Amino acid sequence: MFRTAAATAGIVAAIAVLSAVHLTQGTSSTGVLDVLAAVLGDGDAQTLAVLEGSRVPRLLTALLLGVALGVAGAGMQSVARNPLASPDTLAVNAGAHLAVVATAAFGLSLPVLSSGAAAFVGGLAAAVVVLGLSGGGSAGPRLVLVGSAVALTLQSATYLLLLLFEQETTGLFGWGSGSLTVSDLDATAQMTPVVVVAVVALVAMGKSLDVLALGDDNATVLGLRVRRTRVGAVLLTVALTAAAVTVAGPLGFVGLSAPVITRLLVRFVPGFGRHRVLMPVSGLVGVLIVLGADVLLRAVMGSAAAVRVPTGVTTTVLGAVVLVWLARRTRSSAAPRQAPAGRVGVAGSTRRLVVTWVALGALLVAAPVVGLMLGDRLVLLGDLANWVSGRTGTALTFVVDQRLPRVLAALVAGAALAVAGCGIQSVSRNPLAEPGLLGITAGAGLGAIGLITLVPVAGAWQVAGAAGVGAALAFALVYGLAWRAGLDSDRLVVIGIATWSGGTALITLLITTSDPWNTAKALTWMSGSTYGRTLEQVVPTLLALALLLPLLWSRHRELDLHTLDDDTPRVLGLPVERSRLVVLVASGVLAATAVSAIGVVGFVGLVAPHLARSLVGGRHARVLPVAAVLGAVLVSVADTVGRTVISPAQIPAGLVISLIGTPYFVLVLWRTREMRT
Amino acid sequence: MRLLTPALVTAAVLLSACGTTETPAESTPTASAGGPVTVTDARGKAVELEAPAVKVVALEWAEAEVAASLGVMPVGVADVAGYKTWNASVPLADTVKDVGTRNEPSVDAIVALDPDVVVMPEGRDATLAGQLEKYVPVVVTKGSDAARNFDRLADDLKIVAKAVGKEAEGDKLLADMNIALDQGKASVEERGLAGTPFLMADGWLKGSTVNIRPFGKGSLVSDVAERMGLVNAWTGEVDAQWGLGQTDVEGLTALTDPKTVLFYSASEDDVFTTGLADNPVWQRLPFVTSGEVHKLEPGTWTFGGPKSVERVADQLLSALAG
Repeated sequence: MFRTAAATAGIVAAIAVLSAVHLTQGTSSTGVLDVLAAVLGDGDAQTLAVLEGSRVPRLLTALLLGVALGVAGAGMQSVARNPLASPDTLAVNAGAHLAVVATAAFGLSLPVLSSGAAAFVGGLAAAVVVLGLSGGGSAGPRLVLVGSAVALTLQSATYLLLLLFEQETTGLFGWGSGSLTVSDLDATAQMTPVVVVAVVALVAMGKSLDVLALGDDNATVLGLRVRRTRVGAVLLTVALTAAAVTVAGPLGFVGLSAPVITRLLVRFVPGFGRHRVLMPVSGLVGVLIVLGADVLLRAVMGSAAAVRVPTGVTTTVLGAVVLVWLARRTRSSAAPRQAPAGRVGVAGSTRRLVVTWVALGALLVAAPVVGLMLGDRLVLLGDLANWVSGRTGTALTFVVDQRLPRVLAALVAGAALAVAGCGIQSVSRNPLAEPGLLGITAGAGLGAIGLITLVPVAGAWQVAGAAGVGAALAFALVYGLAWRAGLDSDRLVVIGIATWSGGTALITLLITTSDPWNTAKALTWMSGSTYGRTLEQVVPTLLALALLLPLLWSRHRELDLHTLDDDTPRVLGLPVERSRLVVLVASGVLAATAVSAIGVVGFVGLVAPHLARSLVGGRHARVLPVAAVLGAVLVSVADTVGRTVISPAQIPAGLVISLIGTPYFVLVLWRTREMRT
Repeated sequence: MRLLTPALVTAAVLLSACGTTETPAESTPTASAGGPVTVTDARGKAVELEAPAVKVVALEWAEAEVAASLGVMPVGVADVAGYKTWNASVPLADTVKDVGTRNEPSVDAIVALDPDVVVMPEGRDATLAGQLEKYVPVVVTKGSDAARNFDRLADDLKIVAKAVGKEAEGDKLLADMNIALDQGKASVEERGLAGTPFLMADGWLKGSTVNIRPFGKGSLVSDVAERMGLVNAWTGEVDAQWGLGQTDVEGLTALTDPKTVLFYSASEDDVFTTGLADNPVWQRLPFVTSGEVHKLEPGTWTFGGPKSVERVADQLLSALAG
């Protein structure tokens, strides 16, 4: 009891110190001495105005956000019985953010409260989908995988709105990462009652949550209404998150790291283990994180420059580090892992195989041909025939000439991503793995945008090269961090997600500090576009595909073995780690070249292998080529759709994939959930 | 049956997709007066046109405005709807076709207009110019340069004027603009307002979060005001291309001269007068206490051509008079 009180007092004291420092930081010349004088009741009018009009609102907002997100994270982790649950990993942040950006993009200028309501609805919808799909949030990283995937989809939709409504949403890009640049307390004041009520209610539920922690069955035996407790807690945590998003945008990873840190303290302060204490203390730790990030940012960059950097960028990077550290700390779960969905080892009948290949062949021919025909200007088959024989007029020749590289880029990048996905899913034995989850796409994006920032006139080859280097470094980082006396696939994926989020935060940092007025270009790049591709940009991907697809195919038996379990391949004499490294490197190279060709395209590496397995069974000898064709067709179709539906404006192919891929992805998740229960 | 329907649909599509959209013949060049023109553009590249361009496609709003001001209504402009909202100085004709977003204009749409020349600023997309050039001459302008925005404006104007064979009109536009600015300067001096410090800014409001974007030294608007004898009071860091800074309300306390005047542009919400009205820091700012807070009219494009410049100058002048 004494220990709990002392530890809590220590945290509060730390908050007080940070708050004092926080008050002395700002863009005006008001400094430590002025603030000190004001506190002693001797301040000049200017100092008082600065305190009242800028610094105190910022401080109080930081306090509110810290409490809201810290408690929300603690609540979610308890409900999901998973230390990796948080507003970020349950997609609540992303859902709330999308709702707010949508209201701005469509010109609905809402007063704060209804904007808060929109955020709540968006966040709740996302949480319901994620919890529903992950079976209420079982322990293990599955919840995080589902949540992160849904979050990325929602983020794609947000990007789309930011791109299409560039002028209407100027300023929202930075806000999208969590900004504390408040100029009054209106929003904070309106959201405070929501936060207070939700925190009080959650703390009041503390006993029930303690019981819930014993497991559903035990809790039921002990007389707890499990379902009602869970639904109530979810609603309260979503309300907290939505309140935070309404005030400052999605402040990344605070809700994840605050409760994690608190739970780590339980070892020293056992009293923190009970929910009635755990929740409020998580809130206080949340405050420490938000304030600490803000103070650190302004101390390092100087207050004037720090205005451009959303505080959420700092908290996300800090949170990503916590996530990696946590993943490295936890021992690999002994639970049996699930093989990728589909009928492993079951081959379809020969007739089915023939039908599939005929259909795929037709699609592989039709997709690019239709891709060449459709667009802002309709080109007919006769035109194409004329073009092939060189009889088209200059205008038409040009149109088809410039469409050809785009169509080819989409085809080869799609195939490369799909093959990479096959390899990664096989060796990580994780049906939800994809190249992005290895940090490859974030690394490539960071490399490319870093180069665009440093050398604005960089040519296509240089950008591709930088993307490749970034991808390789990120992959090496993820792989190195995940390696602890062997490679654990769950750990690999969680560290990959952390790297992805951290990388995205750094990209935001680069854009907002270097070229805050040209976010569209970076956004387009980050969402995977075939716009303005040239034939030479297709070559690296084509080479990688030509070399590595046969290589992987020649090892199809190894891939089959990897999907079984860890022991069987060893028993059969396969050097597991080495084989895994070869497959991962090959997949990494394929994904990196694809990203350098058409930017960040998600979902293909995830969806194509699943589709392939459902068509021809689980043996990689068949899966690999089928997945390659499917990936090529998918991206090609997405590209064609993206530049046709709202022409002359265009939707980047990667966004189309996310938006089309989501329903399928949801289906996969639903089915794998059924399999588990 | 399961295969029949898709097969029929496919057959129908294939049949309807046959045929051609053009007669395979060389298109005849547009007949126009004047011989070949060579324009040295902002890349330093000599672009050769067979004749002064009549059909112009502009991929950024300043270039569209310049072409229209020269009496050559562009056939295509990127984001026409946006132009109409943000740049009311030189209206576009209803015949102007939209060629997509400014960030990713549609190559198909551009080509479909069969233009004589495409005018675009540096930097929006590095590969686009090279691609388009295989089909149509591309003239690249500088777009913006915080080191020399006025001279840059004149250079860009001359590039476009030469490409469309309207050099005399171009010189007249520049002369008119300079006359307007000189008159503005004279008027400022006459009223004893020379040396008045000013802040020009725009900003956004999202909930309680306010972002303020000061137009620092080197921004086009700042150059206009300084040319008229005013002094830019914002000395914070700005970017090298546009001359724009970024700050919050507290950062504005750097402005202490009681004579400082605020000009601002705001599109939808009026960030400055509603979003900040109750803020004590705002209330103590010199231009607020003196009531020197002036909003530019909607449709005043702060990154435009000579006509936009004149419009900005007019409004600065009438604000000072009021």
